This record gives sequence, C-alpha cells and structure tokens, in this order.
Amino acid sequence: MNPQAQTALPSYTLNCRMNQEAAALERLCQVVRVRGFQISRMSMESADDHLDIALTLSGSRPIAMLRSQLEKLHTVVDVALQEQGASVRSVSV
Amino acid sequence: MNGAQHILEAFHRHNINTVFGYPGGCIMPLYDALVDDVGVEHVLCRHEQACALAADGFARASGEIGVCIATSGPGATNLITGVANAYMDSIPMLVITGQVPSGLIGTDAFQETDILGMTLGIVKHSYLVDDAEALPGIMEEAITLAQSGRPGPVWIDIPKDIQLTEIEAPAATTCAQPDPHYPDISEALAMLYSAKRPLLYSGGGVSLARAEDSFRAFANASALPGVVTLKGIGNPGKNHPHSLGMLGMHGSRAANKAVDECDLLFVVGARLDDRATGKLDGFAPNARMIHIDADAAEINKLRPADLALRGDLNRILPAFTEALKAKPLAIADWQKQCRTWHTTGGFQAADNEEALAPITGPAFIRQLSRIAPDDTVIACDVGQHQMWVAQHYEFDHPRHHLTSGGLGTMGFGLPAAIGAQFANRRGTVINVTGDGSFMMNAQELATIRRYNLPLKLIILDNQCLGMVRQQQELFYNNRESHINLDDNPDFVAMARAFDIPALHIERTDQIRRGIETILAYDGPMLLHVAISREENVWPIVKPGASNRDMIDENRRTTTKEYVA
Repeated sequence: MNPQAQTALPSYTLNCRMNQEAAALERLCQVVRVRGFQISRMSMESADDHLDIALTLSGSRPIAMLRSQLEKLHTVVDVALQEQGASVRSVSV
Repeated sequence: MNGAQHILEAFHRHNINTVFGYPGGCIMPLYDALVDDVGVEHVLCRHEQACALAADGFARASGEIGVCIATSGPGATNLITGVANAYMDSIPMLVITGQVPSGLIGTDAFQETDILGMTLGIVKHSYLVDDAEALPGIMEEAITLAQSGRPGPVWIDIPKDIQLTEIEAPAATTCAQPDPHYPDISEALAMLYSAKRPLLYSGGGVSLARAEDSFRAFANASALPGVVTLKGIGNPGKNHPHSLGMLGMHGSRAANKAVDECDLLFVVGARLDDRATGKLDGFAPNARMIHIDADAAEINKLRPADLALRGDLNRILPAFTEALKAKPLAIADWQKQCRTWHTTGGFQAADNEEALAPITGPAFIRQLSRIAPDDTVIACDVGQHQMWVAQHYEFDHPRHHLTSGGLGTMGFGLPAAIGAQFANRRGTVINVTGDGSFMMNAQELATIRRYNLPLKLIILDNQCLGMVRQQQELFYNNRESHINLDDNPDFVAMARAFDIPALHIERTDQIRRGIETILAYDGPMLLHVAISREENVWPIVKPGASNRDMIDENRRTTTKEYVA
C-alpha cells in the first residue's frame, strides 16, 4: 500500500459505548474493517455494564455510513463522531 | 428445568413448532430433551447446511422465524453458508449450536471451533452463553431480535454443561415494542406531486415488514409505474397495470429504461444492490430519490437520498395511500409511456410452438406459470434457471417466490423447498433447479422421502454451469473454464434410488404433460428437463456496467436503440 495515499485519507474520531459482552471489541473492529476503514489508534475503558471505546480511524468512504453500521450492532449504545460530516435530512418514523 | 428444557420452553412460548437440525456430541442434551417434547417437530436433514437453508425457506414461505440446530465444530461450520444466506436476505432465523463444555473452551477440544468469532459478520447478533441463569433471557431476546426491525439470523452458542444445568429463575425478558406514531409525509408528498415521471422501486423489505397489503394498496392508490428487485417479485401482484417487472442485470428493458428516464425514484424496502442498479454513476441519472426503509444504515449507503423516511412500512405507506386517494397523481402521459415500453421491452418472449423442438428455459417456465396453481411456492436455486423464473413466472405474492438474492447460494433451492413445504403442508411447492445447483444438496432427497413431502422437483439440465458459461462466452472471449458437467449422473435413476419417481422430457410437446404429471402425482416427484447447453439469459448487463448498456440476444448493447 502506498503510505502517502494512506495518510491522505480523511481521519475521524469515534467514541463508542457498548454493552459488556465477550465479543464486543471484535464485533466493533470487524465492522470498521469490513466497511473500509483502518484503525490507527484505539483505547478502551471498562465499567460495570458497559465499555467506552475511542477509535481514531481513516477511510475514503463516508464516515456517516460507518457510523450507521456501528449503530446497528445490538450491543452498541451510542456512537459519537467528533468531526461531524454533512448528512441527509432524515425523518425517523 | 435444565438449560435444554428452557430452550424448548422458549420455542413453545413463541409458537415455534418446527425446527430443522442434526444432532451431535455437544448438542445431545437438547436432543435428549426433544425426546420428551411433543410440541416441537424436529426435521432431520442430511447436512447441517440444508438445516439452515430449510429454516430459511420455512421463514420466507411462512413469515415466521426459522430455527436450525447443530452440534459444535463441523456441525456449526456447516451451518455457516445457510446463515450467511439468511443474513444477506434479512431472513428471521434462530440458530442454536452446542459448544464444548465451558471448562474446555479455548483448549482445542474435540469438535471445538470459535463459532462466535467465525460468524460475527453474518449474524444480526450472537451469544456465547457463559451463565446458565442468563439462558432464558437470551432466548427471549434472540427470538425477538431476529424478527424485529430489519430481521436477520441470531446465533446462540450453548456449551454442553449449560444445557445440562438446572436453572432456577426462568424469568424471561419482555422486549418493549416501540410506540406507534404516524409519520410526517408532507415533504415527500410534495416531491411526488411535483414529479413528472415518478417511479416506484420496491424490494424485499416489503415482505420483511409483512407490508404486502399496505404496499398493494399504495401501488393501487398511487398508480405509479413500478419496478421490482429480485426479492421484490410478487409485489404488487400479478398483472398489475403499472408494473414493469424486474430491473437490473437481467431485468427487462422496459424496467431499466423507466429507471433511466424517471425524475423521481420512490424506493420502498430496497437496498440498491449492485445487481439491481448496475454501475451507480449511470443509475437513474435524472432522478431525485425518496428512500423508505426500516434500516437507517441503508439510507445513503450507496446513493444519497433526497429525503429519507425510516420506520415501519405498515405505518408509512398507508399515510401515502390515504393522501393519494384524496388527491391522485396527474401522471397519465408517463403511465402511458411506461406501458408502451412494457409492451415493447417486457419479458414477452415468444413460446416455441414447434412440437419437436428442444425445450428452452423461458418457454418451460412460462408454461409452468400457466399450469401451476396460483398459490404455488417456487423455490429456485441459483443460475440461469433462477433468472428465467424471475423473468417469466408470474407471481401474485412475494412469499411464493423463494430465491437466494444476496448471497446467491447454489444448493439453496431443495432445502428451502423442504422448509416451505413444512410451512405449507398441503400446498404446492416446486423446487426449480439446475443440474449444478441440484448436486450441491442432493442428499436432501432422503429428507423428502423420510417425511413423504409432496414436493415437486424440476431440474433444467444443460449439462454445464450455464451462468458461468454464459459470462465466459460474452465477457471472457468464449474461453470456457471448468463449467462442463456432461458427466452428470442419471438424475431419473438417482431420484428413483431415493424411492422418488421421476420423468424425463426433452421436446416442447412434452412440457405440458410433464408438468401436469408431476403436479397430479400424490407425493414427491422429479421432472428432468433436458435443455440446450448453449442457451443464454437475455438481456444481460455486464457486471460493473451501467444498466443502460444491456446486451440482448442479438448482442446489441444500447437500450435506447431498441426500446422506443
């Protein structure tokens, strides 16, 4: 892979809160990889019933797409994007 | 009650009375509990992949959750293709596997695999039960989750010791239902009323939401010209005056033309899959888009929506229906144009009238469509025959058309038909398959015989992997590579070896008698249909190309040239 091309990709920071479960981190990381993003930094704190995970990642695809895929995970409680992009008007019904 | 008995208790609570499975070491406590249970019918398939695909077919045909069971290790890994198939098509499924005892997990024990880790990407959710007391709650949550929102497979991996543990507190979790409220559709309505050439684009999400009736009412009230995806076939019903049929790679010229020319796409329960859209840059280039779906992650995934409505189709569509009944759309010219395209560019292939002529796939499927009862369930496999069914069989309901849309799983059809037959015990169920697909789960002939299912099997046999051969011919300079199956077994003799009567036909004048014979037979029967090796599915769009660049049987490649 061309390192210059890699560094040129947009970078984002996502803060994810997940319920405690054995495969939580694997689930999260797999979605990130499959949806076309690379993790450059990750930290996790474990509390009684949840995990707080901070991801710094990069990728050429829209970050909103990754965010919505992560939010679909049953054990994900919240995903917060520090660098918010533009999004479609959406009416939840 | 022990853990295994709690699993069955959850089945009873949710009216799950048919499951498909295969026993083995680490799932034996559950099978032991089944001995004393009269409320759950366990269907023994002959391969775990078939268990998963039969559960899938059961779910598609019934609208209920499908359940499959297997042991650890190879039992679990054999399920994977079937579960991936359900995941790609959003089929509600509960997967139960045994796991090695808790203390042996991570020791490379006999028949141990990390099935939870292996399957993360093909499940809606999954559990490895590490606390027996949690099992009742997990069962309840899993069954609810598999069927809620956008459905999908949920996998529960249960160590053998947990199945044997006596559980004191069975308190099941009751999952909260969302509060019903009604959508604000005013902006979407304004877009509809201002459009000159609006087009309805619907997919499998309509059936997944059990919204067929709401959709049919909406299609009638709006009178929108409509195209369907492969999984949307059957909506809004047979002979709908504004239906243009399937779009996409093997869609009709009329459907792809309408998408190309429309100025508003009204997308309902569809994910804009690449087989349907072709190259996205050239897809509906002049259209704004309203996207209605249960899954927020589908909105903007592949094409930005100008307006998105996310939620239950059974609440959203009726709101449109009422508004459009009060004030219909004024799109008569566009409707007329689409009907003209449908007349000249639909799937009206002429039937071959020559009695002694070889049978063609389309001619056979069109006769089957005319002869089979209206409520017949057709379970396809994957390949050319699958596309001929999609193009030429007239379905009146999407649950009558079982097809592996997302994963394209060869071997799907036979076990899926078995599942559908258990969902419709007295109904007519036909597996339409090819010679390549049939051999991928042919062992399930034994399951048909064991349960004396009145299934009908039709093999369109071209003695090759026809769809691959077609693409090698068209896109790889006719360099055939490993598609030859002319050493197939004698399928008639093979069926008879399973005590299933069979019939062979090869001429056009034999089609009607062949179909009528198998349909009239009181029991399972196989019809072997010899077709030409050289036959192709037309039209076709080269993978990755725009739907504008359809190729027809004369190798012409520009839609605009031949759809006036």
